[in-house]
Amino acid sequence: MPLFCFAGTEAFFYPIECNMKLLENYDVRDLGNLELLAKQVVEGFIIGLHKSPFHGFSVEFAEHRLYNQGEDTRNIDWKVYARTDKLFTKRFEEETNLRCQIVLDASSSMYFPEVTKTSEAYINKIRFSSLAAASLMHLLKKQRDAFGLSIFDEAVNIHSRCKSSTAHYRLMLTYLQQLIDHPERNRSTSASQALHQIADSIHKRSMVIIFSDMFEEGEETEKLFSALQHLKHNKHEVILFHVVDKSKEIDFEFENRPYLFIDMETGEQVRLQSNQVKEQYVEQMAKFTGKLRLKCMQYQIDFVEADIHKGFRNILQSYLVKRARMRV
Amino acid sequence: MAFEFTDTNFQETALDTDGVAVIDFWAEWCGPCRIITPIIQQLSEEYEGKAIIGKVNVDDNPEVAMKYGIRSIPTILILKNGEVVDKHVGTTTKQVLADKIESHL
Repeated sequence: MPLFCFAGTEAFFYPIECNMKLLENYDVRDLGNLELLAKQVVEGFIIGLHKSPFHGFSVEFAEHRLYNQGEDTRNIDWKVYARTDKLFTKRFEEETNLRCQIVLDASSSMYFPEVTKTSEAYINKIRFSSLAAASLMHLLKKQRDAFGLSIFDEAVNIHSRCKSSTAHYRLMLTYLQQLIDHPERNRSTSASQALHQIADSIHKRSMVIIFSDMFEEGEETEKLFSALQHLKHNKHEVILFHVVDKSKEIDFEFENRPYLFIDMETGEQVRLQSNQVKEQYVEQMAKFTGKLRLKCMQYQIDFVEADIHKGFRNILQSYLVKRARMRV
Repeated sequence: MAFEFTDTNFQETALDTDGVAVIDFWAEWCGPCRIITPIIQQLSEEYEGKAIIGKVNVDDNPEVAMKYGIRSIPTILILKNGEVVDKHVGTTTKQVLADKIESHL
Protein backbone atom coordinates (compact mmCIF):
# COMPACT_ATOMS: atom_id res chain seq x y z
CA MET A 1 0.00 0.00 0.00
CA PRO A 2 1.48 3.33 -0.95
CA LEU A 3 2.27 5.53 1.98
CA PHE A 4 1.33 8.62 0.11
CA CYS A 5 -0.89 9.13 -2.86
CA PHE A 6 -2.90 11.87 -4.41
CA ALA A 7 -6.44 11.24 -5.44
CA GLY A 8 -7.91 14.44 -6.74
CA THR A 9 -7.47 16.90 -3.96
CA GLU A 10 -7.41 14.26 -1.25
CA ALA A 11 -4.11 13.08 0.12
CA PHE A 12 -3.77 10.07 2.34
CA PHE A 13 -1.06 9.68 4.86
CA TYR A 14 -0.22 6.51 6.62
CA PRO A 15 2.61 5.96 9.11
CA ILE A 16 3.85 9.51 8.92
CA GLU A 17 0.82 10.33 11.05
CA CYS A 18 2.73 9.51 14.20
CA ASN A 19 5.69 11.49 12.98
CA MET A 20 3.56 14.58 12.51
CA LYS A 21 1.97 14.16 15.92
CA LEU A 22 5.41 14.24 17.41
CA LEU A 23 6.07 17.49 15.65
CA GLU A 24 2.81 19.02 16.58
CA ASN A 25 3.41 18.27 20.21
CA TYR A 26 6.98 19.35 19.93
CA ASP A 27 7.88 21.89 22.51
CA VAL A 28 8.86 24.71 20.23
CA ARG A 29 9.62 27.08 23.09
CA ASP A 30 13.32 26.38 23.26
CA LEU A 31 13.84 26.24 19.55
CA GLY A 32 14.14 29.88 18.69
CA ASN A 33 15.88 29.07 15.46
CA LEU A 34 13.35 29.28 12.65
CA GLU A 35 15.63 27.52 10.21
CA LEU A 36 16.01 24.48 12.38
CA LEU A 37 12.34 24.43 13.18
CA ALA A 38 11.30 24.72 9.54
CA LYS A 39 13.65 21.90 8.66
CA GLN A 40 12.16 19.72 11.38
CA VAL A 41 8.63 20.35 10.16
CA VAL A 42 9.48 19.60 6.55
CA GLU A 43 11.68 16.58 7.18
CA GLY A 44 9.04 15.16 9.48
CA PHE A 45 6.45 15.69 6.82
CA ILE A 46 8.28 14.16 3.91
CA ILE A 47 9.74 11.16 5.74
CA GLY A 48 7.76 8.18 4.62
CA LEU A 49 6.36 9.70 1.45
CA HIS A 50 6.32 6.70 -0.82
CA LYS A 51 5.98 8.53 -4.06
CA SER A 52 8.34 11.44 -4.22
CA PRO A 53 6.62 14.58 -5.33
CA PHE A 54 9.97 16.14 -6.15
CA HIS A 55 10.99 14.39 -9.37
CA GLY A 56 11.80 16.52 -12.36
CA PHE A 57 13.66 19.23 -10.51
CA SER A 58 17.26 19.52 -11.43
CA VAL A 59 20.05 21.75 -12.42
CA GLU A 60 20.55 21.83 -16.13
CA PHE A 61 23.92 21.36 -17.76
CA ALA A 62 24.12 24.47 -19.91
CA GLU A 63 27.58 24.84 -21.40
CA HIS A 64 31.24 23.85 -21.54
CA ARG A 65 33.71 26.62 -20.77
CA LEU A 66 37.49 26.68 -21.15
CA TYR A 67 39.13 26.13 -17.78
CA ASN A 68 41.00 29.12 -16.37
CA GLN A 69 43.85 28.67 -13.95
CA GLY A 70 42.75 29.20 -10.37
CA GLU A 71 39.19 28.05 -10.97
CA ASP A 72 37.67 25.30 -8.89
CA THR A 73 38.72 21.95 -10.35
CA ARG A 74 35.53 20.23 -9.20
CA ASN A 75 33.64 21.17 -12.33
CA ILE A 76 36.27 20.06 -14.82
CA ASP A 77 34.85 17.61 -17.33
CA TRP A 78 37.51 14.91 -17.13
CA LYS A 79 35.96 12.81 -19.88
CA VAL A 80 36.40 15.68 -22.30
CA TYR A 81 39.98 16.12 -21.08
CA ALA A 82 40.67 12.44 -21.77
CA ARG A 83 39.23 12.74 -25.24
CA THR A 84 40.54 16.10 -26.38
CA ASP A 85 43.43 16.94 -24.05
CA LYS A 86 41.69 20.23 -23.25
CA LEU A 87 40.41 21.36 -19.89
CA PHE A 88 36.80 22.41 -19.93
CA THR A 89 34.51 23.08 -17.00
CA LYS A 90 30.84 22.25 -16.92
CA ARG A 91 28.52 25.12 -16.20
CA PHE A 92 25.06 24.53 -14.88
CA GLU A 93 21.94 26.58 -14.97
CA GLU A 94 19.38 26.34 -12.25
CA GLU A 95 16.11 25.14 -13.59
CA THR A 96 13.28 26.83 -11.82
CA ASN A 97 9.83 25.66 -12.55
CA LEU A 98 7.92 27.70 -10.09
CA ARG A 99 7.88 31.14 -8.58
CA CYS A 100 6.11 31.30 -5.30
CA GLN A 101 5.29 34.49 -3.44
CA ILE A 102 4.48 34.02 0.22
CA VAL A 103 2.33 36.84 1.53
CA LEU A 104 2.10 37.38 5.25
CA ASP A 105 -0.30 39.59 7.15
CA ALA A 106 1.56 41.23 10.04
CA SER A 107 -1.21 43.45 11.37
CA SER A 108 -1.67 43.56 15.14
CA SER A 109 -4.56 41.10 15.10
CA MET A 110 -2.12 38.44 13.93
CA TYR A 111 -0.42 38.66 17.33
CA PHE A 112 -3.47 37.07 18.95
CA PRO A 113 -3.45 35.34 21.41
CA GLU A 114 -0.90 37.30 23.37
CA VAL A 115 1.82 34.90 24.43
CA THR A 116 5.18 34.95 26.08
CA LYS A 117 7.80 32.23 26.23
CA THR A 118 6.37 31.18 29.56
CA SER A 119 2.82 30.81 28.22
CA GLU A 120 1.35 27.33 28.26
CA ALA A 121 0.98 27.22 24.50
CA TYR A 122 3.68 29.38 22.97
CA ILE A 123 1.93 29.86 19.68
CA ASN A 124 -0.01 32.72 18.20
CA LYS A 125 -1.13 33.50 14.68
CA ILE A 126 1.99 35.35 13.60
CA ARG A 127 4.30 32.70 15.05
CA PHE A 128 2.28 29.98 13.39
CA SER A 129 2.24 31.80 10.03
CA SER A 130 5.95 32.60 10.16
CA LEU A 131 6.86 29.03 10.93
CA ALA A 132 4.52 27.73 8.24
CA ALA A 133 6.03 30.21 5.76
CA ALA A 134 9.57 29.16 6.76
CA SER A 135 8.63 25.49 6.31
CA LEU A 136 7.19 26.16 2.87
CA MET A 137 10.31 28.09 1.90
CA HIS A 138 12.45 25.20 3.07
CA LEU A 139 10.38 22.85 0.93
CA LEU A 140 10.58 25.20 -2.06
CA LYS A 141 14.33 25.57 -1.64
CA LYS A 142 14.68 21.79 -1.56
CA GLN A 143 12.81 21.65 -4.85
CA ARG A 144 14.94 24.45 -6.28
CA ASP A 145 11.87 26.56 -6.82
CA ALA A 146 12.11 30.30 -6.40
CA PHE A 147 10.30 32.00 -3.56
CA GLY A 148 9.74 35.53 -2.38
CA LEU A 149 8.20 37.05 0.70
CA SER A 150 5.80 39.95 1.12
CA ILE A 151 4.83 41.25 4.53
CA PHE A 152 2.04 43.77 4.90
CA ASP A 153 -0.12 45.48 7.49
CA GLU A 154 -1.49 48.91 6.49
CA ALA A 155 0.92 48.86 3.54
CA VAL A 156 3.40 46.41 2.04
CA ASN A 157 6.44 46.69 4.30
CA ILE A 158 8.66 44.03 2.83
CA HIS A 159 8.49 42.74 -0.70
CA SER A 160 11.29 40.55 -1.99
CA ARG A 161 11.80 39.15 -5.46
CA CYS A 162 11.67 35.40 -6.05
CA LYS A 163 14.99 33.58 -5.72
CA SER A 164 15.98 30.08 -4.72
CA SER A 165 19.38 30.57 -3.12
CA THR A 166 20.27 29.67 0.45
CA ALA A 167 21.39 33.25 1.16
CA HIS A 168 17.97 34.48 0.07
CA TYR A 169 16.30 31.85 2.26
CA ARG A 170 18.29 33.00 5.30
CA LEU A 171 17.41 36.64 4.64
CA MET A 172 13.72 35.76 4.47
CA LEU A 173 14.06 33.90 7.77
CA THR A 174 15.50 36.97 9.45
CA TYR A 175 12.50 39.00 8.27
CA LEU A 176 10.20 36.38 9.77
CA GLN A 177 12.18 36.24 12.99
CA GLN A 178 11.93 40.01 13.32
CA LEU A 179 8.17 39.76 12.96
CA ILE A 180 7.97 37.33 15.84
CA ASP A 181 10.42 39.20 18.05
CA HIS A 182 9.05 42.70 17.58
CA PRO A 183 5.28 42.77 17.81
CA GLU A 184 3.70 46.10 17.02
CA ARG A 185 0.48 47.41 18.51
CA ASN A 186 -2.31 49.21 16.72
CA ARG A 187 -1.34 48.19 13.21
CA SER A 188 -4.50 47.75 11.18
CA THR A 189 -4.90 45.58 8.07
CA SER A 190 -5.28 46.74 4.54
CA ALA A 191 -5.13 43.39 2.83
CA SER A 192 -6.99 44.51 -0.28
CA GLN A 193 -4.56 47.31 -1.08
CA ALA A 194 -1.56 45.09 -0.36
CA LEU A 195 -2.85 42.25 -2.51
CA HIS A 196 -3.52 44.60 -5.43
CA GLN A 197 0.02 45.89 -5.17
CA ILE A 198 1.50 42.40 -4.92
CA ALA A 199 -0.64 41.07 -7.80
CA ASP A 200 0.82 43.72 -10.09
CA SER A 201 4.41 43.43 -9.00
CA ILE A 202 5.06 39.71 -9.38
CA HIS A 203 5.49 37.57 -12.48
CA LYS A 204 2.32 36.28 -14.05
CA ARG A 205 1.45 32.65 -13.37
CA SER A 206 3.19 32.61 -10.00
CA MET A 207 1.96 30.71 -7.02
CA VAL A 208 0.74 33.04 -4.29
CA ILE A 209 0.35 31.73 -0.76
CA ILE A 210 -1.39 34.08 1.65
CA PHE A 211 -1.37 33.81 5.43
CA SER A 212 -3.91 36.15 6.95
CA ASP A 213 -6.78 36.24 9.39
CA MET A 214 -8.61 38.39 6.83
CA PHE A 215 -9.93 40.69 9.50
CA GLU A 216 -10.89 43.82 7.62
CA GLU A 217 -13.22 46.69 8.43
CA GLY A 218 -16.79 45.92 7.40
CA GLU A 219 -16.87 47.96 4.18
CA GLU A 220 -13.42 46.73 3.19
CA THR A 221 -14.58 43.15 2.71
CA GLU A 222 -15.80 43.73 -0.85
CA LYS A 223 -12.47 45.35 -1.72
CA LEU A 224 -10.71 42.31 -0.33
CA PHE A 225 -12.70 40.04 -2.64
CA SER A 226 -11.85 42.23 -5.60
CA ALA A 227 -8.14 42.00 -4.65
CA LEU A 228 -8.38 38.21 -4.61
CA GLN A 229 -10.03 38.36 -8.01
CA HIS A 230 -7.18 40.56 -9.24
CA LEU A 231 -4.69 37.85 -8.25
CA LYS A 232 -6.60 35.27 -10.24
CA HIS A 233 -6.98 37.68 -13.15
CA ASN A 234 -3.18 37.86 -13.38
CA LYS A 235 -3.23 34.06 -13.72
CA HIS A 236 -1.66 33.39 -10.35
CA GLU A 237 -2.41 30.18 -8.54
CA VAL A 238 -3.54 31.23 -5.09
CA ILE A 239 -3.81 29.44 -1.77
CA LEU A 240 -5.35 31.39 1.07
CA PHE A 241 -4.56 30.12 4.55
CA HIS A 242 -7.13 31.64 6.84
CA VAL A 243 -5.10 31.69 10.04
CA VAL A 244 -7.30 31.58 13.13
CA ASP A 245 -7.32 30.55 16.74
CA LYS A 246 -10.46 28.54 16.10
CA SER A 247 -11.58 27.96 19.65
CA LYS A 248 -11.43 31.66 20.52
CA GLU A 249 -12.02 33.52 17.27
CA ILE A 250 -14.52 31.29 15.53
CA ASP A 251 -16.19 29.29 18.29
CA PHE A 252 -15.85 32.04 20.93
CA GLU A 253 -15.09 29.59 23.71
CA PHE A 254 -14.72 31.80 26.74
CA GLU A 255 -15.87 31.09 30.26
CA ASN A 256 -19.13 32.69 31.23
CA ARG A 257 -17.80 35.65 33.14
CA PRO A 258 -17.13 39.30 32.39
CA TYR A 259 -14.24 39.98 30.02
CA LEU A 260 -12.54 43.09 28.75
CA PHE A 261 -12.11 42.65 25.02
CA ILE A 262 -9.50 44.87 23.37
CA ASP A 263 -9.29 45.36 19.62
CA MET A 264 -5.61 44.74 18.93
CA GLU A 265 -5.66 46.88 15.80
CA THR A 266 -7.48 49.98 17.09
CA GLY A 267 -7.10 49.64 20.84
CA GLU A 268 -10.87 49.96 21.30
CA GLN A 269 -12.09 48.30 24.50
CA VAL A 270 -15.42 46.74 25.39
CA ARG A 271 -16.60 44.98 28.55
CA LEU A 272 -18.78 41.96 27.95
CA GLN A 273 -20.20 38.86 29.53
CA SER A 274 -19.17 36.28 26.92
CA ASN A 275 -22.49 34.44 26.83
CA GLN A 276 -24.35 37.63 25.95
CA VAL A 277 -22.71 37.90 22.57
CA LYS A 278 -21.54 34.37 21.82
CA GLU A 279 -24.48 33.33 19.68
CA GLN A 280 -24.45 36.46 17.57
CA TYR A 281 -20.66 36.48 17.26
CA VAL A 282 -20.48 32.85 16.16
CA GLU A 283 -23.24 33.47 13.63
CA GLN A 284 -21.51 36.57 12.20
CA MET A 285 -18.17 34.81 11.97
CA ALA A 286 -19.74 31.79 10.27
CA LYS A 287 -21.38 34.14 7.80
CA PHE A 288 -18.08 35.90 7.08
CA THR A 289 -16.03 32.72 6.66
CA GLY A 290 -18.83 31.20 4.58
CA LYS A 291 -18.76 34.20 2.25
CA LEU A 292 -14.96 34.13 2.07
CA ARG A 293 -15.03 30.43 1.28
CA LEU A 294 -17.67 30.95 -1.41
CA LYS A 295 -15.77 33.79 -3.07
CA CYS A 296 -12.59 31.72 -3.06
CA MET A 297 -14.47 28.87 -4.68
CA GLN A 298 -15.78 31.24 -7.34
CA TYR A 299 -12.30 32.56 -8.11
CA GLN A 300 -10.78 29.05 -7.93
CA ILE A 301 -8.63 30.00 -4.97
CA ASP A 302 -7.78 27.23 -2.51
CA PHE A 303 -9.23 28.30 0.81
CA VAL A 304 -7.71 26.49 3.78
CA GLU A 305 -8.69 27.11 7.34
CA ALA A 306 -5.48 27.02 9.36
CA ASP A 307 -6.15 26.61 13.05
CA ILE A 308 -2.98 27.49 14.92
CA HIS A 309 -3.50 24.59 17.31
CA LYS A 310 -3.74 21.98 14.56
CA GLY A 311 -0.12 21.94 13.38
CA PHE A 312 1.43 22.39 9.96
CA ARG A 313 0.41 19.26 8.10
CA ASN A 314 -2.60 20.99 6.63
CA ILE A 315 -0.39 23.71 5.23
CA LEU A 316 2.24 21.51 3.61
CA GLN A 317 -0.38 19.11 2.32
CA SER A 318 -2.39 21.88 0.64
CA TYR A 319 0.74 23.23 -0.97
CA LEU A 320 1.80 19.83 -2.33
CA VAL A 321 -1.65 19.13 -3.74
CA LYS A 322 -1.67 22.50 -5.49
CA ARG A 323 1.87 21.97 -6.75
CA ALA A 324 0.98 18.57 -8.12
CA ARG A 325 -1.99 20.08 -9.92
CA MET A 326 0.12 22.85 -11.44
CA ARG A 327 2.53 20.35 -12.94
CA VAL A 328 -0.16 18.62 -14.97
CA MET B 1 21.50 19.67 -42.70
CA ALA B 2 22.55 23.02 -41.33
CA PHE B 3 25.37 24.70 -43.23
CA GLU B 4 28.93 23.78 -42.11
CA PHE B 5 31.18 26.79 -41.76
CA THR B 6 34.91 26.07 -41.83
CA ASP B 7 38.12 28.07 -41.51
CA THR B 8 38.39 28.15 -45.28
CA ASN B 9 34.82 29.01 -46.29
CA PHE B 10 33.99 31.34 -43.39
CA GLN B 11 35.13 34.56 -45.07
CA GLU B 12 33.07 34.15 -48.21
CA THR B 13 29.99 32.51 -46.70
CA ALA B 14 29.54 34.47 -43.48
CA LEU B 15 31.48 37.70 -43.77
CA ASP B 16 31.33 38.69 -47.42
CA THR B 17 27.61 38.16 -47.81
CA ASP B 18 25.02 40.82 -46.98
CA GLY B 19 22.34 39.92 -44.49
CA VAL B 20 22.15 37.84 -41.35
CA ALA B 21 24.36 34.85 -40.54
CA VAL B 22 23.84 32.70 -37.46
CA ILE B 23 26.83 30.64 -36.34
CA ASP B 24 26.65 27.89 -33.75
CA PHE B 25 30.06 27.00 -32.28
CA TRP B 26 30.02 23.38 -31.15
CA ALA B 27 32.01 20.18 -30.56
CA GLU B 28 31.09 16.53 -30.78
CA TRP B 29 31.90 15.82 -27.15
CA CYS B 30 29.78 18.66 -25.77
CA GLY B 31 26.40 17.58 -24.36
CA PRO B 32 24.69 20.98 -24.36
CA CYS B 33 25.76 21.45 -28.01
CA ARG B 34 23.81 18.32 -28.91
CA ILE B 35 20.71 19.91 -27.39
CA ILE B 36 21.14 22.97 -29.60
CA THR B 37 21.92 21.03 -32.83
CA PRO B 38 18.33 20.08 -33.78
CA ILE B 39 17.18 23.62 -33.01
CA ILE B 40 19.80 25.04 -35.36
CA GLN B 41 18.77 22.47 -37.95
CA GLN B 42 15.10 23.48 -37.73
CA LEU B 43 15.90 27.20 -37.81
CA SER B 44 18.11 26.77 -40.88
CA GLU B 45 15.18 25.20 -42.69
CA GLU B 46 12.67 27.78 -41.51
CA TYR B 47 14.85 30.77 -42.36
CA GLU B 48 16.19 29.42 -45.66
CA GLY B 49 16.60 32.33 -48.04
CA LYS B 50 16.30 34.92 -45.24
CA ALA B 51 19.41 34.12 -43.21
CA ILE B 52 22.31 31.74 -43.42
CA ILE B 53 22.31 29.49 -40.38
CA GLY B 54 25.09 27.01 -39.77
CA LYS B 55 27.62 25.43 -37.42
CA VAL B 56 31.34 25.63 -36.74
CA ASN B 57 33.09 22.66 -35.19
CA VAL B 58 35.61 24.32 -32.85
CA ASP B 59 37.95 21.30 -32.86
CA ASP B 60 38.24 21.23 -36.63
CA ASN B 61 38.16 25.01 -37.15
CA PRO B 62 40.18 26.66 -34.38
CA GLU B 63 40.89 29.82 -36.39
CA VAL B 64 37.29 31.02 -36.53
CA ALA B 65 36.76 30.13 -32.88
CA MET B 66 39.89 32.03 -31.92
CA LYS B 67 38.97 35.03 -34.04
CA TYR B 68 35.75 35.49 -32.10
CA GLY B 69 37.30 34.56 -28.73
CA ILE B 70 35.00 31.59 -28.19
CA ARG B 71 35.74 30.20 -24.72
CA SER B 72 32.43 28.49 -24.04
CA ILE B 73 30.38 26.19 -26.16
CA PRO B 74 27.71 26.22 -27.34
CA THR B 75 28.03 29.85 -28.37
CA ILE B 76 25.75 31.30 -30.99
CA LEU B 77 26.82 34.43 -32.83
CA ILE B 78 24.50 36.48 -34.98
CA LEU B 79 26.30 38.47 -37.67
CA LYS B 80 24.77 41.17 -39.78
CA ASN B 81 26.72 42.32 -42.82
CA GLY B 82 29.81 40.67 -41.33
CA GLU B 83 29.53 42.39 -37.93
CA VAL B 84 28.63 40.63 -34.68
CA VAL B 85 25.28 42.00 -33.53
CA ASP B 86 24.26 39.41 -30.94
CA LYS B 87 25.78 36.58 -28.92
CA HIS B 88 24.29 33.80 -26.83
CA VAL B 89 26.22 31.37 -24.63
CA GLY B 90 24.77 28.10 -23.36
CA THR B 91 21.62 26.17 -24.08
CA THR B 92 18.47 27.99 -24.97
CA THR B 93 15.10 27.46 -26.55
CA LYS B 94 14.17 27.67 -30.20
CA GLN B 95 11.83 30.58 -29.48
CA VAL B 96 14.57 32.69 -27.90
CA LEU B 97 16.85 32.16 -30.88
CA ALA B 98 14.05 32.76 -33.38
CA ASP B 99 13.18 36.05 -31.62
CA LYS B 100 16.80 37.18 -31.77
CA ILE B 101 17.09 36.33 -35.45
CA GLU B 102 13.79 38.08 -36.24
CA SER B 103 14.97 41.23 -34.51
CA HIS B 104 17.95 41.49 -36.89
CA LEU B 105 16.27 40.55 -40.15
